[in-house]
Amino acid sequence: MLLLQFFVSGVATGCFLILATIGFSLTRRVEGFLNIAHAELLGVSAFTTWWLNSHHGWHVLAAAVAAIAFTALVGLGIARVVYDPIRHRGPAVLLITSTGVAFVIGGALHGLIGTGIRTLDIGLAHRYEAFGLRVTSHQLIVVGLAAAVSVSLALFLNRTRTGLAIRAMAVNPELAASRGVNLSATSRATWLLSSGLAGLAGVMLAVLATLTTDLAFAQILQILAVAILAGLGSLYAVILSGLLVGVAMDVSAYWIPAGYRPLVAFAVVIVVLLFRPAGLAGTRDA
Amino acid sequence: MNWPQLLVTVLTLGSIFGVVTLSLNLQYARGGMINFGIVAYFAVGAYTYAIFTQPPPQGLDQYKFGFGWPWWTAVIVAGLAALVFAAVTGWPTLRLRGEYLALTTFAFAEVFHSLLLNERRIGNGTVGLARVERPFGDWGPIEEKYVFAGAAALLLVATLLVFRRLLVSPYGRALDAIRDDETAALAAGKPAQKMRRQVFLISAVPVGFAGAVYAMFTTLAQPSLFTAEVTFIVWIALVLGGERSVYGVVLGTAGLVFFEEIVRAWPFETVRSAQIAASVEHVVTGLVFIAVLRYQPFQAAATRLKVSK
Repeated sequence: MLLLQFFVSGVATGCFLILATIGFSLTRRVEGFLNIAHAELLGVSAFTTWWLNSHHGWHVLAAAVAAIAFTALVGLGIARVVYDPIRHRGPAVLLITSTGVAFVIGGALHGLIGTGIRTLDIGLAHRYEAFGLRVTSHQLIVVGLAAAVSVSLALFLNRTRTGLAIRAMAVNPELAASRGVNLSATSRATWLLSSGLAGLAGVMLAVLATLTTDLAFAQILQILAVAILAGLGSLYAVILSGLLVGVAMDVSAYWIPAGYRPLVAFAVVIVVLLFRPAGLAGTRDA
Repeated sequence: MNWPQLLVTVLTLGSIFGVVTLSLNLQYARGGMINFGIVAYFAVGAYTYAIFTQPPPQGLDQYKFGFGWPWWTAVIVAGLAALVFAAVTGWPTLRLRGEYLALTTFAFAEVFHSLLLNERRIGNGTVGLARVERPFGDWGPIEEKYVFAGAAALLLVATLLVFRRLLVSPYGRALDAIRDDETAALAAGKPAQKMRRQVFLISAVPVGFAGAVYAMFTTLAQPSLFTAEVTFIVWIALVLGGERSVYGVVLGTAGLVFFEEIVRAWPFETVRSAQIAASVEHVVTGLVFIAVLRYQPFQAAATRLKVSK
């Protein structure tokens, strides 16, 4: 029974990981590099929500919407100022630069907020029981949001003009441009979208966890685990691998101490990479 | 501000981290491998040294092993341990290239860190191993800290000489060939995959030594000293100095350590201002990093020098 309970909370963890990773994978797919600073955007959003909510007394929903919009703009700004001028130097330089960006955001958050733990001004989670299993209302929100985001992202990428442009640009920018895709507008849309998704994940982080300034950095490890497992840049596989990593981490707490959770995440990744060097969705030549 | 003390610290730490940056430079600039988990090899060296020199556990100690060996054998074992760790982690990861390699080495480092943190039988978990043996006492009239700084600098110079000898040899030229055009090098009969693995193993050894010296310097082997931040700092130093330039790498490390020590040694009035200074240090480090990668001033200078010759 306890094992099943761990499984249920693992699904919730996995859904959070999906939210956190999907923007990261979108950046990798379209812009072609690993944005280590993605996790710090979660922190930006989480603390903006907290600041509006508990300092200015905004309702948590209003605070969340404002935080997501703010994070999307921050993400776009960073991309324009920092990443775009060095795009021609290749993905390795961009990857290393993004760790610099992570330093800057992390340091700024730390300087502005300071140490200590913080929580949002919202009520305690409601608990539901069914078949002897407990679920909190917060967990249900995460699961619902992850499902909604996955479906609407799929619809967006397959049905709308901007979505199709993003996919075309990801596959072949020159060809897309010659067919009339406005590359800079599409890139802008991608950054707004992926940073906005980071913002959403950040709000969930603020709801689920008590906030500390180094919390955001800790997320990058799990995001990386999920993204590698899925195969860098693939989006649908993120759903599967997010659930897999989330469940593996939480169920493992049944046998081994909970402090080993990140270790379990990476153990899964290393085992998968041994057999499928390009991740779950990867092809041989990827 | 106590300038002589500051300079000694910069010399010592600069030498220790210089060794790590040099090894990373060998892996990245010559071998084309992005190792984002370099801190793990450093930590292996430090913990191995601590474990092999400390007395067997007693009282409140939770660690299981303490051999009480003389310091110099422990230093050698630290280098060997880093080599073994590189062999174990290199076996599954080196088939991967580019960012996959960066991510899996990063993953290995995090796994190792979490192992040190949670497994109390290795090194007391979060508490770490304190009172690590420091081998050099005062040397006649010379104070211990100067002797120690000299020893660290000696390690740096030795690493520098060995690496330089290696790189000007036919072996080094073959490495350059593989990095510049792998297909051509393969066609010329150079075993690219095997040589990359060798470089990965060779460059881990000095990192293990540096870890041992770092454990002596801090007299502490604690998980909080070996976080991903160390990896990033070393990478920043590498980029700062300009990849491929051996002396640039050493200077870059020294400059970065100098900057950090000044911030650390500054007399702050309140806890809050010290906190703000620490975050400003982070922000500035990140900004320098971004700017150097974008404008690459040192590389440009190096090219100009070559042209004018």
